[in-house]
Amino acid sequence: MDPAWLKSKRKEFKSWMTDEDRRMGLDRAITAYRAAREYALATLPELEQIRKEVRKIKERSIESMQDLVKGAMENIELVHGHAYLAKDAKGARRIFSKLVGEDKLVVKSKSLVSDEILLNELLEEQGNRVYETDLGEFIIQLRKEKPTHLLNPAVHVPKEEVAKTFSKLVGRRVGADIPTLVGVAREFLRDKFCTADVGITGANVVAANTGTLFVIENEGNARFVSNAPPVHICVTGIDKVVPTLSDAFKVVQVLPPYATGILMSAYVSMITSPSRTADIEKTLVYGAHGPKELHVIFMDNGRTEMFKDPVFREALYCLRCGGCMYECPVYRVLGGSFGHNYFGGIGIIWSAFTAGEENAAAAADACTKCAKCKETCPVDIDVPKMVEHLKQRLIRKGYLAPKHEEIKKSILKKGHPFGQ
Amino acid sequence: MSGKILYWRGCMSRLRTKSIADATEELLRRLGIEYETLDDEGCCGSVLLRTGQVEDAKTVAKRTADHIKSKGYREVVTSCPGCFRTMSSEYHVLVGDVPFRVRHISQFLFDHSKELKQHLKPIKVKVVYHDPCHLGRHMGVYKEPRELVKLVPGVELVEFKYNRGKSICCGSGGGVHSVFPEIALEVAKTVLNDRPEGVDIIITSCPFCNYNFKEVGGSKVEVIDLPEFLLRAWRES
Repeated sequence: MDPAWLKSKRKEFKSWMTDEDRRMGLDRAITAYRAAREYALATLPELEQIRKEVRKIKERSIESMQDLVKGAMENIELVHGHAYLAKDAKGARRIFSKLVGEDKLVVKSKSLVSDEILLNELLEEQGNRVYETDLGEFIIQLRKEKPTHLLNPAVHVPKEEVAKTFSKLVGRRVGADIPTLVGVAREFLRDKFCTADVGITGANVVAANTGTLFVIENEGNARFVSNAPPVHICVTGIDKVVPTLSDAFKVVQVLPPYATGILMSAYVSMITSPSRTADIEKTLVYGAHGPKELHVIFMDNGRTEMFKDPVFREALYCLRCGGCMYECPVYRVLGGSFGHNYFGGIGIIWSAFTAGEENAAAAADACTKCAKCKETCPVDIDVPKMVEHLKQRLIRKGYLAPKHEEIKKSILKKGHPFGQ
Repeated sequence: MSGKILYWRGCMSRLRTKSIADATEELLRRLGIEYETLDDEGCCGSVLLRTGQVEDAKTVAKRTADHIKSKGYREVVTSCPGCFRTMSSEYHVLVGDVPFRVRHISQFLFDHSKELKQHLKPIKVKVVYHDPCHLGRHMGVYKEPRELVKLVPGVELVEFKYNRGKSICCGSGGGVHSVFPEIALEVAKTVLNDRPEGVDIIITSCPFCNYNFKEVGGSKVEVIDLPEFLLRAWRES
C-alpha cells in the first residue's frame, strides 16, 4: 500500500500520463525545442566557451552570495530604488502586501520566484485584480491550471483548447489559429498595461556592482510591465546576483539559446533605478516617463540552506533555462506533475528547498538518475547526484517507498532485490 | 584461483533475464576464457545507492568486496552496467580501494575482437544499439559495444536519433521500475517508438533496459543483449 505522499502523487502522475492532449502538446514542444537548440548551438559555436565561463561565474557568485546581495541592495538604494531581503515566503508576502495594498490593478510578467510565495493568490485575497501577461502564464491563469514548464508554462495546452479559453474570455467565438489567438491576448491586455497601478517582474540575473536587473523576454510584455505602471516591483532569488555587468552579460548570452533555441531574445531590459530626468536646470527628479518607484525584493526561501550543503550548493548555479526538462525522459511522460513548483530533475531539488521536502519525495523516486539533464545543462549541474543525496535525507525523515524498503530487506537477507 | 576471471552475473541476469547470463557464459566458454561464477554472488549495492539507501549500500558493498577479495580474483567482468559503474567507480568511496579490476562485458569482449571475428557468420539484419545510461553517460563506454556489433558480417548497424551521450533512458533506472512500473513502461514506449525505421533488433547491454523494453510487449522489434546477439552469430562448426 502506498503511504499518503506516494498515493496522491501516483494519481497525479497517472492523470498526466493518460491525458493524450497534454502529451501531444508536450511532444510537439519537445521536438520543436530540440531542433531549434541544435541550430542555435551550431550557429553560435562561441557559446561552448561562454557557458564554461558562466559556470565559473556562478561558482564564484554563489560562494559570496550573501555579500553580493548586500552590495546589490546598497547600489539599488543609492539610485533611489528600494531593496528588501525576504528570508522566506512569509516575509516576501508581508513585503508585497504592504507595497501593493488593496484594490489595485496589477500586471505581472513571468516570475517563478513569485510562484514560490503564491503571490497571485495573496494579491487577489487583498482585493487586487492581477493579470499575468506572459501569454503562456495568461492562458494558465485563465484556465486555473498549474504551469508545467519554467519558460513555457502552457506547453501542454493545444491551440484548440486555447481557442476555447479565449472565446470565453472575450465572449465571442475565436478560431484555433495561433496568430489570431496571440492577437486576442494582445488586444485584451493592452489597456491593462497602461492603466495598471503596479507592475511585477522577476529578474534573470542581477549585477551587484551597479544594482542592475536584467529581464529577458520575447513578447515585450515585461517591458510594458516594468515600464508603464507608476510602481515596479521586482522579485528575484538571492542566487541570481553576479558580481559585475560583464558577468551578467555572459549569463544573458547563454540563456536564450539553451532556454528556447533562439540566438538572442527579442528584448533584454536592464533596469537600474526608477525613471529619472535632470533636463530642467540639471536638477535630478525621479519619476519621468517610466515608474516613479522601483522596489527589488531578494528572496532567500531555502537558498541559504541549499548553500550550506556542498552537494546541493550546485543547484544554485541553475540559470532556469529549462532545457533539461525538454531532454528528460520522465518529464516527457509526466510533464507538469514531475515536480511541484519547479519541474524535472533540478526541480525536485528546488521544490524540496522552496516548498518543503514532502513535495519532492515522490518525484525523487520517479527520477531514473539517467543524467540526460546533466549532459544537457549549460553549467554542467550534476542533478542525479543531488537527487540521490536528497533521497538519503528524505529517507531519514520517513519518505522511503515501501517497495524500496522491501528491496533493501531482500538484498540484506538474500543478496538480491526480488524477495521470496 | 588467482588469475582467473570472475564473471559477475548480477541479480538481474542471474534471476530475471537469465538468457543474458547463459549466453554470456556460453560465449566465454567458446572463447576459451577461464572464468568462474559465484553461487552465493550477493549484491553490488547499485540499487540501494540509486534509491538513497547509502548506509545499506555500504554494508553490501563491503560484503561483496571482501567476498571477491577473499577468493583472490583480480579481474571482474559484469553483464550489468549498474554493477560495473558501482564496483569500478564508487567502491573506492564506499569501501576504500579494492584489489580487483572491474570491466563491463562489452569492454572485455572488445579485447577479444580478433578471435571473436573468426567465428562469426554473416547475419542479414538491421539493428540499432541502445546506450544504457550507466554504461554510456555515466561511464563513457560507447565505442566497444558498437564495434562488437559490427564484427558480425552482414549486419547493418543504425543509430537512434539521440545516441551516445544524448541517448534516452529506457525508464527503469534509479529504482523507478519498482515504485512506478507504469512510468518505466511509458518511458520505454517513447524510446521504442522513436527507433529508426525498419530495425529488426534493438541491442542493449543492460539487463534492466532489456527487461523493461520486453515488458512493453506487442512491439514488432526484438530486444536482445549484446552477448546474446554475438552468440547467435557464432558459426557452429
